[in-house]
Parts: sequence; C-alpha cells; structure tokens
Amino acid sequence: MIEVKNLTFSYGKDKQALHGLNFTVGDGEIFGFLGPNGSGKSTTQKILTGILKGHGGYASLFGQDISTAHSQDFFRKIGVLFEFPYLYTNLSAVDNLKYFSSFYPAKQLRDIGEILEKLEFKADFMKKPVSSYSKGMRQRVSMARALISSPKLLFLDEPTSGLDPSGAVLFRKIIEEERKKGTTVFLTTHNMLDADLLCDRVAFITNGNIVALDTPKRLKEQNSNHHVRIDYLYQGRREEKTIEMQELEKGVPFQHDEIISIHSEEPTLEDMFIQYTGRRLS
Amino acid sequence: MWNHNEGSSNHFCSLFKKDCQMILYGKFILVAFGSLIIYTLFINFGYVNFMNAELYNVYLFDPQGTQQGISELIDPVTSLEELNAALSADANGVGIDASSGTPDIVFYFGSEKADNHRVDYALSLLHQDNQYTARTVGTNTPELKQRKEMTCELLFIEIIAVGFLGIASLLFKEKQMGVIRVHAVLPFNKHLFIVSKIMVFLLSDLIFAAFMTVLNIGFLDAVGILPDVLLQTAILSLMMTLTGFGCTMLLKDFRQFSLAYLAIAVFAAAPVFLSANTSVKMAWIDWHPFYHVYMGLKNACFGTPVTNPVYYLSSACGIAILFQIVQIAFHKEMGKEG
Repeated sequence: MIEVKNLTFSYGKDKQALHGLNFTVGDGEIFGFLGPNGSGKSTTQKILTGILKGHGGYASLFGQDISTAHSQDFFRKIGVLFEFPYLYTNLSAVDNLKYFSSFYPAKQLRDIGEILEKLEFKADFMKKPVSSYSKGMRQRVSMARALISSPKLLFLDEPTSGLDPSGAVLFRKIIEEERKKGTTVFLTTHNMLDADLLCDRVAFITNGNIVALDTPKRLKEQNSNHHVRIDYLYQGRREEKTIEMQELEKGVPFQHDEIISIHSEEPTLEDMFIQYTGRRLS
Repeated sequence: MWNHNEGSSNHFCSLFKKDCQMILYGKFILVAFGSLIIYTLFINFGYVNFMNAELYNVYLFDPQGTQQGISELIDPVTSLEELNAALSADANGVGIDASSGTPDIVFYFGSEKADNHRVDYALSLLHQDNQYTARTVGTNTPELKQRKEMTCELLFIEIIAVGFLGIASLLFKEKQMGVIRVHAVLPFNKHLFIVSKIMVFLLSDLIFAAFMTVLNIGFLDAVGILPDVLLQTAILSLMMTLTGFGCTMLLKDFRQFSLAYLAIAVFAAAPVFLSANTSVKMAWIDWHPFYHVYMGLKNACFGTPVTNPVYYLSSACGIAILFQIVQIAFHKEMGKEG
C-alpha cells in the first residue's frame, strides 16, 4: 500500500526535516508512526497525503509514485483525520458532513446518520452548530468526515486526542473494524497505548530518522530482561520477589502460602521509545 | 465511472453554496445593504443639495448706468456705502464699482485661485457677450454630473473596501477553523476553492454596483451606461478580491491585515482620488494601476467607456498574475502546521 525509500525533505536550506526514511505499509495493516513533536512524523504524513511537495527519494501509494499520484482519484481513496478537529464551526455536524462528502462520488459514501450513530454522537446535537460542541464531539465529527468516503487508506493523526477513556476505547474499536474491512491505517500518535493496542507494526522516528521499526510485541520482547515479579503471601505476610523467567519452568522456586499475582518485567513501548531515541514522546 | 466535468461543476456548486452560507453568517450582506442605503441617502438628500449652494452674489454700483446688458443675477446698489455694507454682510460676495465708468472689482481677499474665479464670474455677469459665454459640452445636467461623480467615487471606495475586507473576514474565519487544510485532501481541483470565493464577491459587487447606479443616477440614465459600469466594477472587484485573498493567506491575523488595508487606502486609493478629482497632479500617477481603473469607472459613468485594448489587456494580465500569486499562497497555507 505504502512504500517509502530514502525519503528526504527540507523546509529551507538548513532545515532538513527528513533524513532518508525507509518503510513499507502492507494492505490492511495498521502502521504506527511514533515520535515527539518536531520529529518529522507530520511532515511525512503531509508528503504522503500530497499536501507538501518537493520531497527527495521515492514514495509510492497504491503502487503509484506520489510525485504523480495526487490526482482526484487518489484523494477519493484516502481519508485523513487531522490532529485538530477542523470543521466549519457555524455549520452543524450534518451540514459539515454533507458539505465534505459532496466532493466524493455518491456510490462510495456512507450514510451520515449511521456513521454518527456508530461514533456515539449525541443525536440532539446533530443539527446544532459545531461551535456548541465539546472537543470530544468535534473529534467524533472529524472522524466521521475521515470515514464517510469509505477510504482504502486512512491517515489518522492523534485519533483519541480530546476523547474521554470510553471515547478512546470506541475509536480504537472503530479503527479495528476498519482494518477488518481491509482498510490500511497510517497512525501518527504520541499515545503509546493506542500504538500498543492497535498497531501491527510501529516505527520510532526522531530528528527525521527512523530508529526502530517492528511489531510492538517484538520491540518489547527483544529488550526484555526476562524477569517476572511475583506477589505472594507467606505466613500471613505479603511479600514480593523478582526471579528469572526460566526459574518458573519448574514451579515457583520459593516457599509461599498463596500467589497473589505474577507480572512480567517486560518494558513498555514508551520504555522502548526512550531507549531508542533518548527522548520522551511528550 | 466518475464524470470529471460533472464532478467539477458539482464541486463548484458545493463550494459556492458554502461560501454564500458563510457570507450570510458573517453578516456581510447586511453591511453591503447598509452601505447602499447610506450612500443613496447621502447622494439624494445630501450631496446634490449641498452642491446646489448659491454662487457668489455680485453687487454693482453704477450711478451713471455705464454698464449695459448686465445679467439679472447682479444686485444693483445705489451708493458706495450700500456696496460696502453689502460686502460686509456677505464676505464671499463680489462688488463692482462702476462709478467712474470703468468697472473696478471690490471684495474681501480670500485665496488667489478662488479670487480669480470670483473676478471672472463677476465680469461674466457684467458682460453678457460671446467672450464670457461658455460652450455647453455633453448632455449631463449639473445635477446628473454631480450624481455620476459621487456614485463613481463611492462605488470605487466600496469595491476597494468590500472586496478586500470582505474576503479577509471570510478567509480568516476559515483559517482559524483550520478547514483550508481539510480542502487539501479533498478530491477536487483546488483552483475551484479560489474561483468560488472570487465569484461570490464578484457577484455581490456587481449587484451592489447595479443598485448603486440605478438608485443614484436614475433608471433611464443608468440603463445606457450600466454594462460599462459593471465591466469596470468587475475589473476592480477581481483585483481587490484577489489582493485580499493573497494578503489573508500571507498575513498572520486580521490586525496585520488591517495595516495592509491602511497602506492600500493611504498609498493606493488616496493618490488616485487626489489626481482624478483635484488639481493635484502627480507625475507618476500614470503608472498607478488603480488610477486607470478609477478613470475607467468614471468614464463609464459618464458614457465614454475606455476603448483602448491595452487597458483591458493590462487588466487581464494583472488579474492573471494576482491569481497565480494567490494560488501559491493558498497551497502554502494548506501545508501549514495545525
């Protein structure tokens, strides 16, 4: 779906934003692009969506070089959720969606009411102006705008930003459903939980370079110290012990009355990001 | 199969409809309608009456009746004391003392140009012969001439202000909402975004110009000149709307934009008015594009439209260059960070 080879971009003579990125995204894959502010992830997304011109190297979408791919046909196949909910605030959710969907052929459009319902948008706000919506409601309308044209490739920038925990769970469910339909998702985020739960593979980008690219699971496993932490009760006292994972193969190697919990000491995705980049995400 | 031509016309309709909605929400129509009412009231009940003010009174002291064939507008006085008293009460009046047989002009000193005018006017009333009879040019009555002049001036001011500020108020809202960036990833020809906005303002300017001309010049007199007035309005409207569009894309906020408007008002419009309507002549004014557009509008109002193809070619080139600049600025804005 996406193929990027030695992608470079400069905002001026001395301001190189991308230093030769290489990655591929397969059909139906959720690909996470993780990096702190100013790392080059938005620039990459803008190049891929045709907003920024003048890149170096090679990139193709749908098997076509992006230098020539940004035709109307191309834009009909993609959906983009921006970091902020960009909407006409004086129009209602329905009017916004009617307007934005008017640029697509009718046969590829989803029903506005149905999609808003799926996003658990409050029905009584549908015809009220966006200026009266909370950030979470605006994010839902923006997501509806990105999905309304049934895109084959979805670019999502911080999709769960501004949502409460239940909203974030709903969005992750919807993204999963899209993937099941065969939609490819290019996810740009700071949110490690989103990346960990959703992405098939993630790339860590910092200072315009990809420093690691793999599945979240493998990234964590490769860097695991293979320890487990056991909480247990012994002679009425609560104790905690950390042992090598191998030691568990023959059973719990110490005296105890009751095991309360066993935690693997596997690093989190954020730990891995810091290890690779030396920086926190936010 | 998706029909591209049909698609483009549908896309344009969507953009145009949304721009009209935005203009209605922004109270733009109310502002334009209010301006039309104020200008019309000013021209019909203020300016025309104001310009009909009496000319200088002329008083003649000619005890021996040496002056023959004098105008009925001259007020005869019977003594030098009466002449002095009349001038004391009417400082703008002009006195003629013909007691010696030769007319001597007497008045309170004003300014050199005005005084020469007063002298000429007084003598023209005294000698109703060919030397002082002006030849009438054109068919406009003084009132119609005043109406046309003021209509042209107010129309020019309105198009400059509305074309420039109107599109800015609309686009700054869209910039703040971030929706310009959304259009970057929508499947339509991006030129249409610019064309739609230009068309909305062009249409509103043309409607405004038509009403302004008909209401202030009169329907019968307006009918003949209306096509030329609308053509000149269209040229000015396109130039100002595109300039406003470009400035909105390049400038950060409405405050910066207001300064740009001030610069245009001071450096672009003011010299044009001075050169076109007063005796002030600037050597470089022929290089000022607005001067030619203003004169084009004025000539159209007076029924003598510009026929020089160079003017129209230059205007078309200017508009095409502005459109290119706007396109670059628009694409730059679409690529900006949120």
